[in-house]
This record gives sequence, C-alpha cells and structure tokens, in this order.
Amino acid sequence: MKYNLELIKNKKKIISFSTVLILLSLLGILYSTFNTSYKKPINLGMDFVGGNELRIERVCEAECSNLSPDSVLDNLREISKNNNVLNNIKLQFQNNNKLISIRTPYLSIEESNNLITNLDNIIGPLNYESKDSRLIGPKLGKRLLTNCVTSLLVSLFAISLYITIRFDKKYALFALLALFHDLFIVFGIFSWLGIILSVEVNSLFAVSLLTIAGYSVNDTVVIFDRIRENLKSKKEGYNETIQLSVNESFRRTTFTSITTLIPLLSIILFGSYSLFWFSLALSLGIIVGSYSSILLAPSLLLKD
Amino acid sequence: MKKRQGWLFFIIFLLTLSVYLLINYPLQLGLDLQGGSQLTLQIIKEDGKVTSDELVAVNSVIDRRVNNLGVSESNLQTLGRDQLILELPGEQNPLVASRVLGKTALLEFRTQKEGTSRDLKTLQLQRFSIKELIEQYSFAEKIQNDDDFFKVIQDNLKDIEQELNYSSTSNDLYGKLIEIKKYVDKEITNLFTKTDLSGKDLINAGRRQEQTNSNWEVLLTFSNSGGEKFSEITKSIAGTNQLLAIILDGESISEASVGSQFASTGITGGSATISGNFSAEDARELEVQLKGGSLPLPIEIVETNTIGALLGSKNILKSLYAAIIGLIFVGIFMIFNYRILGFVSVLSLVLYGFFNLALYSLIPVTLTLPGISGLILSIGMAVDANILIFERIREELYDGNTLTRSIDSGFQRANSSIVDGHITTLLSCFVLFLLGTNFVKGFAATLGIGVLISLFTSLNCSKTILRFFTTYQSLRQKNLYLPRNNFSN
Repeated sequence: MKYNLELIKNKKKIISFSTVLILLSLLGILYSTFNTSYKKPINLGMDFVGGNELRIERVCEAECSNLSPDSVLDNLREISKNNNVLNNIKLQFQNNNKLISIRTPYLSIEESNNLITNLDNIIGPLNYESKDSRLIGPKLGKRLLTNCVTSLLVSLFAISLYITIRFDKKYALFALLALFHDLFIVFGIFSWLGIILSVEVNSLFAVSLLTIAGYSVNDTVVIFDRIRENLKSKKEGYNETIQLSVNESFRRTTFTSITTLIPLLSIILFGSYSLFWFSLALSLGIIVGSYSSILLAPSLLLKD
Repeated sequence: MKKRQGWLFFIIFLLTLSVYLLINYPLQLGLDLQGGSQLTLQIIKEDGKVTSDELVAVNSVIDRRVNNLGVSESNLQTLGRDQLILELPGEQNPLVASRVLGKTALLEFRTQKEGTSRDLKTLQLQRFSIKELIEQYSFAEKIQNDDDFFKVIQDNLKDIEQELNYSSTSNDLYGKLIEIKKYVDKEITNLFTKTDLSGKDLINAGRRQEQTNSNWEVLLTFSNSGGEKFSEITKSIAGTNQLLAIILDGESISEASVGSQFASTGITGGSATISGNFSAEDARELEVQLKGGSLPLPIEIVETNTIGALLGSKNILKSLYAAIIGLIFVGIFMIFNYRILGFVSVLSLVLYGFFNLALYSLIPVTLTLPGISGLILSIGMAVDANILIFERIREELYDGNTLTRSIDSGFQRANSSIVDGHITTLLSCFVLFLLGTNFVKGFAATLGIGVLISLFTSLNCSKTILRFFTTYQSLRQKNLYLPRNNFSN
C-alpha cells in the first residue's frame, strides 16, 4: 500500500490551518485570563489553589430520591451558622443522585469531618466506605503549581537541548516549533473547556503536557530521520524527497497513534473517573501531535 | 544462530524469574487502590531552609508518635527537603493522627514570678470563664443553633474582653473565643519564669485515672539529671506562694503549689504528675506526644487524602478492565495488520507485561492510579517500537531481499529512531521523577521503567522470537509477513 499525501501542493493550507488553531487557542487563553471569574489563562483546579474535595455515596433502598443541591446547602448552613467556609461551597449530585460531590475552600480535618456528619444528618445514611476526600492547603497548592511549571520548563529545555545536539539547527527549530504548536493547542482546548464546561486542570494535566511533549518530539524525529536518510541517498529534488519520506513514514505514524489511542480510549470509556480528563488531554495531544509531525513539521521544511 | 538460542534461553529464564517474583512478592498497592488516608506534613521554618539534620529530627519524632499511637502498617517517608508523607491504610481515621502529629508538644516547667499572685488569680478565673463559653458554644451548635444562646455567649465574651482590655479581631464567634483563650494563656505564661527543666529531661510518660474522680492524669518520669533539676526547682519555691506551672506549647496546663515539707530537699524520686482535667483521649494524646518528644520545628498538615476501601477496589477493577480491554484491542490490531509479525509483537508484549510487573515487585514500586496509566501508556511506546521495526522489515522485503536479511536490516535500521524516541520520553520521566510530587512520581516511575524494558523487549525479545519462528520451514513464506492484498510481491 502506497500513500500519496500532496504535501507540496497543500503547504499553504496546512500552515493556515495550524495558524487558525493557534489563534483559536490564543483567543481561549486570553478570554480565560480577562473575562472569567478566575482570571487565569486556564481554570486551575484544587491541586493548585488548595481546598477540599469530597465525594461520598448515599445508601438508598432502590433509587436515590431527587434532592436539590440548594436546599441541602441551606440545611447545612442552618446547622452550622457560624461557619465561614459554607459561604463558598459547591455541591452536586451525580450518578442518579447517588454520588454527592462537594467543593469547599480549605478545611481542617475536623471541619471536614463535621461537614460529613452534618451531611449525614440531612441526607443520610451515607456509605463511608465510598468516601473520597482530598484536603489541600493553599500553601501546598502554590508550591505544586510552581513545581509543575518548573518541571515543564526544565524538561522542555532538556528535550530542546537533545534535539539541537541530535539534528542540525533547521531541523531542530522546526521540530521544536511543532512541539510548541501541539502543547499550545492542547492548552488552548483546556482553556476553552474551562470557560465552557468549568473543567479544571490539576497536576495530572501538567503530566499529560509533558508526555505529549515526549510523543510529539518522538514522532517528528522519526520523520526527520527518514528525510535525512533519503536526502543522502535519493536523487530526486529536495521537496520531492521530503514528500516521499513523509509518505513512507505515514503508516508507521498513524499506526503508532492508533495503538496508543486504543488504551487511552479504553481508559476514557471504562476507566476510573479520576483519569478521564487526563486521558482526554493525552488523546488530544496524540492526535494533534501526529498531525503536526506528518503534515506541519515537514511542510515547514519545504522550500518555496 | 547459537547466539540467538542463548538469548532464547535467557528470555525464558527471565520469564520464569518474573513469575516467581510475582508469586512470592505480591505487588504493593497505593492508597488510592486499597483505601486509606495520606497526610502530607509541611515543616514550617521562617527562612524556608530546612537542613537535613532538622528533617531527620522531625521525622524521628513523628515516627515515634505514630508508633506510640498504635496505628497498624503505617508508612512514613520524607518528601523533598521539608515535607513528610504519612500513610494510614484501611479505615483509620486521620483525625486523631492529625491532632497528635500537628502539635509541637514543647513541654516547659516554669516558676511563678514573685508578687503576681493576684494577677494570676484573675487570669485563672478568666480562663475558666472562657473555657465555659467555648463549651457552651459547642453545646449551642449541637442543639440546632439557638440564636438567643449565641447572643448570651457573645455578651459574656464582651465582658471578658473589657476586663482584659483586649479586643479580638476574628470574624466569627468561635474564632473570637479561641483568640481570647490564647491571649489569656499567653498572659498566664508571662507570669512565670523559665527553668532549665523541659520535655527533653523526660524518659517516659504514662497515664492513669485519678482515684477521686473520673478524670485522667499524665505521669512524667524524669531522667537522672532531670530528676535533680526537678527537685532543685521545687526546693526553691517550696512553702512560698509561688506556683510551679507545666506549660505545653505555650499553654499552662497545670499550676500547683509545692508544700513547705519539701523545703529542704525538694520533690525527689524523679517523677511528677500532671492533673489537668484530662479526658481519657486527651491523656492518651498527651502521653503519645510527650513520649515522642517535642518537634524541633513546628509542622502543618497541608494535604489530606482519604479514600474509602470500597472506592479503592472499584478504582483498581475499573483500571484493570480498561487496561486489559485496551491491550486486547491493540493485540487484535497488530495481528490483523502484521500477521505473523503481529503475533510476534503480541508475544513480546506479554513478556513486556511480565517483566514490568516483576520489576515493580522487585524495586518495589507502589502501584497507584497514575502509575497504572503510566504503565498503559508505556505499552504504547513498546508497540510503537515494534511497528517501526515491522515497517522497515516490510520495506526490505518489498525491495526483494531475503527474509533473514530483511529481518536483520529491519531491526538495524529502525534502531536509531527507536532509541531517539525512548530517550526523549526518558528525559521527561527523569525530570518528572526529580521534580514531581508523590502523585506525579508514580506516573514517571512506571512510564520510565516501561520505556527501559521496552528497549530490551522490542530490540531483543521480538528479534529472538522472530528468529525462532523462522527456523520452521512452514513459517518462512514471505507472504506471511506482508499485508494480505500484496501477494504479488
């Protein structure tokens, strides 16, 4: 099976398409920074701002009765009137009213336990075996954020350094451009998700960005390797050789993406909830990454 | 050929070893998979530079306290330079642990300054009233917020504030009560002079119920030098109206007079009792803290994760299913596209899985949810290496080379791409592992180990298995290695 992607003809289209994606991402990031309640380029989750996240299931005979979160909150406030934390509380029912999920600002363990006891009094009985609670102090949140940003920068630097040593300047530059293109777009998509669906990013998102960086560079390196090899041996023109190399590696790159996407999709569909957004970020990154390695990066190498 | 056979035996040996390891050293599951609580303790120091000596000192105090608490199978480890992580598996409430661990437990013995008797009496009365108010407050909260009741407490609090000539700054009533209590405690402590006797002079602590009522008291046993200091101090104030205060973390928990019969020798015997209206629980917590010694630096609990056991087992099953389903589909995809080669890659992936898990139990790596996702992702890397090789082998076959030659040069030519890809991923893993939090570390560890093993299985195991297959005549037909629609080649 031979593939025939017309890279030379479509160079302009590819570059415009990427430019549009980048601009859309930028728009999301700017909108998120200036026009949302949180005023950040992306909706930072509890890992980074601190707080208390609590999930617990109700014990119901057959089906759990329908309750309005507002009335439960009113009841909660009634019980502990002199408690500041309850002014800033979010409560949701999920999974057919069975699962209660609560977000509050940072609480001490004692306060958190009191909250559950009060909740038990209002809408109990609760199944304590199903409890999942996370308390993160604001200090730690800040630290985690700096930690994640440094990890990202340091490893991007390490990868850039490796690529620059491994390839000559032009290749390295375009491989890195493709890499930042991928990361920027995934970041932008999550900015939009934050604006539209209030999706928050936590430390796993930083991990996914790093993994995407590794993948994206890997994909581009394989294609550039092929281009270099063909340029040495083939006697066709420069642009044609690039196009040929891309078509030769097309199968490998798509197949690899598919085999990586399969387990990720299966985590999205069947895996635990806490890994959902993580797997989604990775899947998006792999899709954008394959696109940029197959089409964008080689197009940038083409001569006019 | 002989060399390859040697590899085959080596691989079989490794597989047997892995199975043996997995049977005898079961995998360690993280708290998110087995349920339990995890507390992150942050050491507080103003300049932020906690030395390694200080870290070790805090660690050992916390360790002693945890042991004295009798928490089963707890695990304490340091994280970075100024954090500790305590894991309490199972259904153990982190509340008690957090109360006991969070306190500095700095024990001091102080003697009253001369001529402060009247001041002390007033403050003691105020302390009594404020304690009453705090009790009333929690009672008022329990009986569904009686507004009148809160108002009475508020008024009483104002009276005390006036007497003290101090006004509180907290926003809510409870905060105010606590603030005033701290202020009174501080004022009381200020009426006493420090001595050289402290918690460091203890060799043991215990507790017992008082004979006259149901309250508990805590017994202190001093070291030899501590006993001497104690008798000196008691001798100096015996028979006077100066009191001896036992102060814990800046709060005086007991003030007592020393009778004139001790004026010549002081209280000897090297032990003392603190009776301060302790409940059984309070007494136990104090005992644990005193036995563990005081913390050289204060700590703060900055993160608490609690995961119910049921939820943990749900997490594990779900992720396991997801991984298995994903793997089966990857296998089908590979066999469908690469036929015999696909089958080889499935075999080498099975080896890959076993080697990975065996290394987890050997190192050992605690398996957490992010760890499992790292594993699943690293499988992607391993498959990728196989695809790179197989595509190259096919190209060689298309060029009309013999099977053996194609296989050889396929592996050889894919080599540099594979190594490049693995190195960039390893770089990321390395950085993540160095800089990441506990959570992130789990992911980096499994992905990193996976990538390393993948180098071995894809470059070596796949090749060995493939070579073994091609020793059979029936498996040496070229078309078994090419796509179905390409028989013409």
